[in-house]
Amino acid sequence: MTWSVVQDIAANAIVAVAFFCFIVVFLRNMIGLAQLLIAAWVFATRIEPSEGARELWQRYADLALPITMIAPAYNEELSIVESVKALLALEYPEHEVIVVNDGSKDDTMGRLIAAFDMYPCERTQVAQLQQTQIRQTYASRRFPNLLVVDKENGRKADAANAGLGFARTPLVCVIDADSIIEPDGLLRAAEPFMHDNGRLVAVGGAIRVANGCTVKGGSLQKIDVAKALVPRFQVVEYLRAFLTARVANAQTGTLMLISGAFGLFRRSTLVEIGGYRHDTVGEDLELVVHLHRHLREQKRDYRFAFIPDIVCWTEAPAALKGLDNQRARWQQGSLETLVRHRRMMFNPRYGRIGLLAMPHILLEDVLGPPAELLGYLVLPAAALLGLLDPMMAVAFFFVSIVFGTGLSVGTLALEEQQLRRTPSARSLIRIGWAALLENFGYRQINLWYRIQGVRRFLKKDGTWAAVPRLGFGAD
Amino acid sequence: MRIFSSGLYETVVLGSAAMAGVVVVIFLLLVLRRHLAERQVDANKRIDAAITRSYLRRVAGHRPETDDTGWTDERRLAAVSQIQALLRGGERDRLMQIAELDGLLAATVRRSRRWRRSERVNAIRLLQRFGSELCIARLRELMARDRSPLVRVEAAFALAAAHALPPPRETMRILRMTDRAPSRLDSALLRASVPDYREQFVLLLEDDLPPVWRAQLIDALGWSGDVAVIPVLEKAAGDEDPEVRGAALRAAAKLGHPGAREWIMAALRDPDANVRVQAVKASEALGLRDAVPQIRDLREDSQLWVRLRADQALEALDPGYDTKARPPLARNPAHDLSNCA
Repeated sequence: MTWSVVQDIAANAIVAVAFFCFIVVFLRNMIGLAQLLIAAWVFATRIEPSEGARELWQRYADLALPITMIAPAYNEELSIVESVKALLALEYPEHEVIVVNDGSKDDTMGRLIAAFDMYPCERTQVAQLQQTQIRQTYASRRFPNLLVVDKENGRKADAANAGLGFARTPLVCVIDADSIIEPDGLLRAAEPFMHDNGRLVAVGGAIRVANGCTVKGGSLQKIDVAKALVPRFQVVEYLRAFLTARVANAQTGTLMLISGAFGLFRRSTLVEIGGYRHDTVGEDLELVVHLHRHLREQKRDYRFAFIPDIVCWTEAPAALKGLDNQRARWQQGSLETLVRHRRMMFNPRYGRIGLLAMPHILLEDVLGPPAELLGYLVLPAAALLGLLDPMMAVAFFFVSIVFGTGLSVGTLALEEQQLRRTPSARSLIRIGWAALLENFGYRQINLWYRIQGVRRFLKKDGTWAAVPRLGFGAD
Repeated sequence: MRIFSSGLYETVVLGSAAMAGVVVVIFLLLVLRRHLAERQVDANKRIDAAITRSYLRRVAGHRPETDDTGWTDERRLAAVSQIQALLRGGERDRLMQIAELDGLLAATVRRSRRWRRSERVNAIRLLQRFGSELCIARLRELMARDRSPLVRVEAAFALAAAHALPPPRETMRILRMTDRAPSRLDSALLRASVPDYREQFVLLLEDDLPPVWRAQLIDALGWSGDVAVIPVLEKAAGDEDPEVRGAALRAAAKLGHPGAREWIMAALRDPDANVRVQAVKASEALGLRDAVPQIRDLREDSQLWVRLRADQALEALDPGYDTKARPPLARNPAHDLSNCA
């Protein structure tokens, strides 16, 4: 093989990689545009929750399906009492709160016992789904609808499963212990079940970043936008994810993720599939994909719904340290789920889930990050070496950066036109700036974190590092 | 190397720039709108307060103290909506009459004819607040003839809130209830309708309806507040369909009349687990101490949910009941009877 042949092969390989990167990024953005347009249509035609229906709901409270809130808690001694008080105070005709102390090393259990006058009780576990030992269950003398389950340390999935096993209500809402639920969030999330005739399995809701907001007593007092850039970038990401992607996916029957911070499920269906899997770091994605698979294999008529209104606020990592772990974990979880359920990919037996949703995850989470990162390097280099039309490199830049910015700003415009939960024009501008700036550094760093997730997946790294939180009020 | 022509890349570049440009302009306009609205907040508050004051004075029979020119219908409607929630009886009626005289009702009726479904639903909510004969007539028209099933249901709810639903047979026909499985909103509508049409509900039960809908009608009878329906419920408690039997027990529990005591206790031995659960709940609701021995036996039931409900009922009915002395409940932890919860 001569040197010129090697050069030709290398040149062809570079060109092939460049085209692959271009097409992947182009496709991702086209899907993003389609999602934005579908979301805009959904928002424009949606009927907001009716006061009339709510009046009747209040009159016939027993029609509202009782809900068990399952809050796994690990080392939450500083905030657990306030969080549980806020959960108990949620507006809903009948809800129970099950806090699962997942073997905390701090005084989470002691704080709960003291604050809520808890005493050891015997509560039957309806289904045993956890893999660790339950130490004791506690009931409250002050709040009959509060149960605390003290168990050995597992992970969030194991704790959620333990809580699920103790739940007796038709619906369960799995949340993070530090999630801040809107006072009427449960009512709004449960509303689709009022219209349902038995098909609805789960409801997801929009989640927002609480960094910069004022939180007191476990509830949101004042909405604001964080001054630091990293949380602001995440505000843009959350808006894109929840206001366009999830809304569009739910509309097209391809909703594949209900966030671990807030999800409302039919208890019986979760128990049927054995609850959350313990051997994945992306248990929330795996759960929904598993549900789709199970229900489609059983040929059951079902649907998932999504509430575009905000139901929950969560604290995002305030700095890159913490974000790195979170994003790598999300990436690893996606890959684990895709591999576990690879049989569904392009399989007509699973309908639009197999033919559209799973390939979309493949494009978005497997091919997308390396293709975009590689594209930033390969396309300009290939253009400089004269291997490619320079206009192609310019077009790649426009598709990834300019078009991407357009999608982010479009989501912001949708939020302002339809929900208007950004507190002021000034905050809007600040988020708008973040939508522009995120393309220059933040996005690329994120892609790098996701590549790290791929590496962890290949190494079968099962460690789970908690994301460091500053607590509300810190900025 | 060229696979695609430069023209294609130029199109991609221009398309991306155009899309981003349009979106950014829309966003900036929205920011500007928000900024102007924020600057107008104080002035708007003053106008809204003036509108509210003006209506309150007119309701009380006084002359309005301010000139009302320049007040938009939208602002007036918002003010009327807020005030009407605070007023009761005659004052509320006078307010709605004044609003009608100001042409606000006509604007709302026009809105209820708009093409967009969400606009019509918003109009329905306003018509419900006005509550006059004209509004009720328009709501009935929407319920009967609107092209969107969601709008028809929304109109039905507005009518239910105003106690103006048509008879149940008509409601079920218009909303095509029997063509589909019942939802919880259907149950709410039927329950709202039953105090006005109890006899018609009983007549409807003679129709050849699917068991799920018979169960809905039986359930609604529990909300009639009329113990004369107890014999109807007793007959339903002997129905061959377990859903109908369960509904009869729910209705009896709601009515809370001891006349149902015997057949509730008989249902504790029903072959269907769901019915046994409902019977235990009904026994607890009626405080049937006589049922305690039978409920004790149900702690050994083959179905987990029956055992759990029996245990709960005993805690309420039997003051001496020792929860620690109960038999083990979770014989088969994986067993799950979803419909019972």
